[in-house]
Amino acid sequence: MLNRRDFLKLVGVGGAGAAAGFALGELTKTPPAKLIPYLIPPEDVIPGIANWYASACMQCSAGCGILVRVMEGRAKKIEGNPLHPINKGGLCARGQAGLQLLYNPDRIKNPLKRNGKRGKGEFEEITWEEGLSILTNNLMELRSHGEADRLYLLTSLIRGHLNFLLADFMKAYGSPNYLQYDLFQYENLRFANKIIVGQYTIPHYDIANTNFLLSFGADFVTTWISPVNYNYGYGQMRQGEGRNVRGKLVQIEPRLSLTGANADEWVPVRPGTEGVLALGIAYIILEGGYYRGGDAKLWKDALKKYNPEAVASTTEVSEDRIKQLGKEFATTKPSLAIGGETVSSYENGVSNLVAINLLNHLSGNIGKTGGVIPNPDVIKKSFNPIATIAKDASRRKIKTLILHNANPVFTTPETLKLKDALKDIPFIASLSSLHDETTALADLILPSHTYFEDWGDDFAEPTVGYSVATIMQPAVSPLFNTKGAGDVFISLAKTLGGNLQKDITWEDFGVFLRDSWKKIYERHKGDIKEANFEDFWNDLLARGGWWDAVPKASKPVRVAASEVSAHLSSEPAKFEGNDKEYPFYLILYPHLSYKDGRGANLPWLQELPDPMTSVVWGTWIEMNSKAATGMGIKEGDMLLVESPFGKITAPVYFYPGQRPDTISIPLGQGHTSYGRYADGRGANPIELLPAKTDPKTGAIPLNSTRIKITRVNAPKSFVKMEGVAKELGRNIVQTITPEEFKKMGKEA
Amino acid sequence: MKKFLVYVIVGVVTFTIGYNVNLIYFPDLSPKQPINFSHKIHAGDNSIPCQYCHIYADKSTVSGVPNVQRCIGCHKIIKQDAPEIQKLQGYWDRKETIPWVKVYNLPDFVYFSHKRHVKAGVPCQRCHGDVAKMDRITRQAVLFGIPYARVSPLKMGWCLDCHTNGAKEFIGMQVKNGRDCWTCHK
Repeated sequence: MLNRRDFLKLVGVGGAGAAAGFALGELTKTPPAKLIPYLIPPEDVIPGIANWYASACMQCSAGCGILVRVMEGRAKKIEGNPLHPINKGGLCARGQAGLQLLYNPDRIKNPLKRNGKRGKGEFEEITWEEGLSILTNNLMELRSHGEADRLYLLTSLIRGHLNFLLADFMKAYGSPNYLQYDLFQYENLRFANKIIVGQYTIPHYDIANTNFLLSFGADFVTTWISPVNYNYGYGQMRQGEGRNVRGKLVQIEPRLSLTGANADEWVPVRPGTEGVLALGIAYIILEGGYYRGGDAKLWKDALKKYNPEAVASTTEVSEDRIKQLGKEFATTKPSLAIGGETVSSYENGVSNLVAINLLNHLSGNIGKTGGVIPNPDVIKKSFNPIATIAKDASRRKIKTLILHNANPVFTTPETLKLKDALKDIPFIASLSSLHDETTALADLILPSHTYFEDWGDDFAEPTVGYSVATIMQPAVSPLFNTKGAGDVFISLAKTLGGNLQKDITWEDFGVFLRDSWKKIYERHKGDIKEANFEDFWNDLLARGGWWDAVPKASKPVRVAASEVSAHLSSEPAKFEGNDKEYPFYLILYPHLSYKDGRGANLPWLQELPDPMTSVVWGTWIEMNSKAATGMGIKEGDMLLVESPFGKITAPVYFYPGQRPDTISIPLGQGHTSYGRYADGRGANPIELLPAKTDPKTGAIPLNSTRIKITRVNAPKSFVKMEGVAKELGRNIVQTITPEEFKKMGKEA
Repeated sequence: MKKFLVYVIVGVVTFTIGYNVNLIYFPDLSPKQPINFSHKIHAGDNSIPCQYCHIYADKSTVSGVPNVQRCIGCHKIIKQDAPEIQKLQGYWDRKETIPWVKVYNLPDFVYFSHKRHVKAGVPCQRCHGDVAKMDRITRQAVLFGIPYARVSPLKMGWCLDCHTNGAKEFIGMQVKNGRDCWTCHK
C-alpha cells in the first residue's frame, strides 16, 4: 500500500512541517517582560498601594475638596473629600474629569515664544531662563519709563494666598491693574445681597433644611454656584435622615432645566419677567398679612402696582397660580427663594435678584435654618468689568498684559471687540497651562502647573455659613517643563529688585504658603487643634483643609422699602431686536459639563450626554416643536440663528420643556484654539450677544437679545443618545387613570 | 492528486505539532538576566531572608524587585572585585536601573496579591521553587538532568489546587471562599 519511496517522502514532509512549526513558535514568542526596579525608592511609595492626597478642585469656583489617588507617582482617580464641608465627599463630572487636564496631550510642555504673526499660533520652544528674562526685561523697561501702571494682570477667580501674592506683586511693582475675570462670577447676586442681606457676598442657601424651595431659574443641580453642595442639600431636603417632610421645589424658568425636571411644579414664565413675578408674589405675601414687620404699609405702597392681574398679564402666569404660590411660600416654614443664572443674566439681572431676595425678607427667611444663612465676609476687591480691559487696550493704555488661566476672548461677545483690542497691546505674556483663544494672542507663554502639581489654597465662596479654606498640595511631580504661577512671580520679583525684592522675600511659593498659614494657625481657631505649627500643617495637609464650624450670628439688617424699591424695575427685561423680525427670545445657559467652555477640552466631558437632551459632542438649539410647525424643520436640521449682532449655525433639537416663543442654546462649544478635543465642535452662541455689560456689576447679560432662525440644510453632525420619544406600541410606560385604579379596588 | 492531499495533511498536522511542542515544552523558563545574579549565593549560601530584598511582599500586591540602592548597600563593601558586581557598580554609577527579565508573569485579568499569600503563611518556595538552590531563576524542574515540567504552571487549575483543598498543609486551614471567581478575576 505504502511503498518505501512514499514513506520516506511522507517522513520528509512531516519533518519539514514540524521544523517549520517549531521555528514559527520560536519566532512568534512575545519578548519577555521587563522588571524595572527603582534606582533609589521614594520614601512614601509602595508599588501597588495607592497614596491619597487631599487637595482642592479647580475646575470651577465652587471650592470643593478632593482626594487624588496616586499610584507609583501617577494620579489615577479623583474623589470628593468626605471631610470637606462643601462637597461632603461628592464630586461632579467636571471634577472627575480633572485628570484629563493633567494628562491632556495639548498641554504646553515648554515655555514658548511667538514666532510669526500674532494670533497665528506659531511658537518656538525656549528655555525657562530665556522666557523669564524676556518678561523681566519687558517689566524693567516699563518701570524705567515710569509706566508701571500700564502693566495689567488678568487672572481667573483666584481666592487663596496666590491672590495675595499677586496683589502684593502688583502693588510693589506700582500697578493698580490686577483684575480677575470669569463669565460666571455672580457679581449681580452679590450686589443684590448687599441690598437685602447686607453683605457683598453670596450667602449659604440652606436647601437641605427648607420645606419650600422657590427657585427662579437656578439650575442648582448642574452648574449654579456650588452644585455639589446644593445637590447634597437637595437630597437632604427630599429625604434627609430625621426629616419627616418631603420639601417641595417649584422651578420658575422659561426653559426646563435638569433642576426643573426634578421639581414638583414648573412655571414656564415669559422670559425676562421673573422679577415681576417675584414682586407679584411679594404683593400676595403683603396682602395676605403674612409679613410680620412693622413697615408693612410702606412695602404695600411700594409694591401696589404688582397686583395679580397686572403681573399675570406680564408674566403669562395665571392669577390663581400667583396667589397660590404666594400663599404657599409665606405659610410653609421654612421657605427659601433663590434666583439663578437665567434670572441674573437679563439686562435687569440685579433688580430681578433684589426682588427674589425680597421674598426671603418678607417671609422672614434670612438668618434662619432652611433659609438664607449669611456667610462670613470675604476679603474681596471689586471686580473690574471685562469691558474696561477692552476699552483700556483700545486706548493703548495697556503696555503689557499678563494672563493667568483667564480666557475672556472666548467668553465675551465679538461685539465687545476684545480680541481686536488685545491685538493692540504691545506685549502679552500668558501663564496658561493649555492653549486657549486668549493665550493664542500671547507673545510669550510661560506654562504653569495644573492644580495637581502645584501648591496652593482656596477660600471657598460661598461657604456653608462658616469659613472654609481648602489646601492644595502637589499630588504628582510636574509632568512637563512647567512652573507654578506663584513661583514665576516670586522669581520675577527677585530679578526685578527694588520694592519687589523687599516685599516678596520667599524662596518659592510653597514656602510663602506655609508662612502665610502660620498666621492662620496663630489665631488658634478652627477645628485643627495642635500645640505647634508643624503638627498643624501636617494635619492640614492630611485633612485637606481648615474650617471653623462655628456659624456666625447674623446681625439683623434693616431693609428699607424706599431704598430697595429704587433697585426694582417694574418693566420686564429688555431684549435687543424687534419682535417682528426676530421672533424668539434667546436664553443661553451654561452646559453641565463645559460650564463657560473650559471643560470642552476634556474628552470625558465631551462624550457625556446632556441629561435633558442626551446630545453629545456639539452645540444644539432647543426649540419647541410647536414653534417649528409650518417652517419645514425636522429634528437635526442645521439652523442659521441670527441676532442683530451675530449669527451661528447649529442643529435643532425639539424640546418639549421649552416655551414656544423661546430658544435656548447651551454655552461651551465652538472653540477655535483650545486643543484637539474642543476645536471645531459646535458653535459659540456668545457671538450672538450685544456689547453690553451691567453698569453696576460688569456682568455680561447672556439673555439680552432676540433671534430669528432659518433652515440651512439637512441633518449634519447631530449625535444624541436617545432614540425616538415615542413608544412605537411597545408599551414601555404603562399608565392607568385614577378612576380605573379606584375601580381595581387596590387603594391602600 | 490523492497522494498530494496526503502530503498536505501530514504537513499541516506535523506543523501544528511542531508549533505546539515549542510553545509547551520549550518556553523560556529561565531567561538570561542582565547580571548573572545568583539566588543560590544570596538566599542559599548566605541565608538572606527573601523579604530582606523583596521588601513589599508583605505589604503590597507586588513583592518588589530590589532597588539598585539596596544592592549597592551591601556591595559597596562585599566582593567589589567580582566582574558581575562591577556590572552592578556600572549601573549605579550611570544612575541607571537594571532591566531584569520577568520570569513569573501573570496575565492582566488575574488579580494576585503577594501580601495576602505571605500573610497567610504560604512559603515563597511553594510557588517560586527552591530558589536557594538556583543560580539563575528558573521555572524548569529537572530530574536526572532532564527538564520535565514547570515549577509553577501559573494556570488556573494550579491556583485552585490550593484554593479548594490543598492549603491545609501550609496555613492549617481551608481557603475561605476559595472557589469564588471574584477572588482573582475582579
